Amino acid sequence: MTQTTQSAGGPDYAALIQSIAQRRDREAFAALFGHFAPRVKAWMLRGGVNPTAAEELAQETMLSVWRKADLFDPARAGASTWIFTIARNLRIDAMRRERHPSDLMPDPSEEPDPPAQADRVIAMSQQEIRIRSALSLLPPEQAEVIHKAFFEDKVHAEIEKELGIPLGTVKSRLRLAMTRLRAALGDLA
Amino acid sequence: MIAHHPSEATLAAYAAGTLPEALALVAATHLSHCATCRKTLSTLEATGGALLEDLPPVPLSIDALDRLLGRMDQPAPPPPPILNPELPAPLNRVALGRWWPVGPGVRYRPMQSSGAAWGGLVLAQPGRSLPRHGHAGRELTCVLSCAFADQDGTFAAGDLSEPGDNHDQPPAVIGVQPCLCVIASEGMRLRGLLGFAQRIIGR
Repeated sequence: MTQTTQSAGGPDYAALIQSIAQRRDREAFAALFGHFAPRVKAWMLRGGVNPTAAEELAQETMLSVWRKADLFDPARAGASTWIFTIARNLRIDAMRRERHPSDLMPDPSEEPDPPAQADRVIAMSQQEIRIRSALSLLPPEQAEVIHKAFFEDKVHAEIEKELGIPLGTVKSRLRLAMTRLRAALGDLA
Repeated sequence: MIAHHPSEATLAAYAAGTLPEALALVAATHLSHCATCRKTLSTLEATGGALLEDLPPVPLSIDALDRLLGRMDQPAPPPPPILNPELPAPLNRVALGRWWPVGPGVRYRPMQSSGAAWGGLVLAQPGRSLPRHGHAGRELTCVLSCAFADQDGTFAAGDLSEPGDNHDQPPAVIGVQPCLCVIASEGMRLRGLLGFAQRIIGR
């Protein structure tokens, strides 16, 4: 997959987030915005969010990246993973405005943890690269349930109906996919 | 030691943010106890990150970054208040109703949640059974204190029960202390008295 190689040699997004944390670096923020905001918007659109709200949520996600940059711990999650969890929580918020359920979800960025070790930081950036390549190698039926789970605002019963397969099969395909992803991570998991 | 975990399908829905709120709160309660499931969750979240990375970008409006730069120094909104300091996170920020008796030795306290599932706390005395839900959808129960047992084994603090379809034996509280659980279901209605209470309380 060409994008995997691109990411391995591309900008170090984790370092950009840390640069925001350390120096309120607006240039680093602009670079992150350029890369992630259009992807977050794409993810929102796939989840059935209307285009205006998707644009807004992409901006809100990036605003949270700016505000929470000092909570980003590269030893716990890669940059895309961290930004994905922020986007996900904001989408949950948007679906119900009266409270802030994202604060009810354990936020990986907010749990105190021992300080990062250099090898762990490298491991987390490796993790994303390995998962991306493992995803591209999944058998189509396993990739399909993973994609449906992450991209469509659907519960498993709906996936079951849509694919015309029993819920047990959805569950076992997910389990098989997870086994492969875990195996790809090996010692990094 | 945690012995009972949610299915990978449930954790995947949680990671993707599609699990209805009440079910997500029960799953989150288990996750706060369970390092194994936190690890699975982190793999799933990394999967979300990888999928995000590979999405074809959809451009924002031309002035999106400039408009955002103008707002960046506004303070962040405060986190929601802790409403129930006696409960562990994440349940301590959930709005709860009052306790309702729903049968001999069993009380139920609904929690406010949106989406296609409902849930709350159940407190059952030793020897009593927890109410069984209808099986129209997913159902999760996480033990907060003491224990219950059913055909799948014994469930103690942190254990999560995610029964399959062929699950009819009601869970019975074991030991000498009352058992406190958080439950959620997307099934239609609870059976029996709890079902009646749920109907008069509303969601």
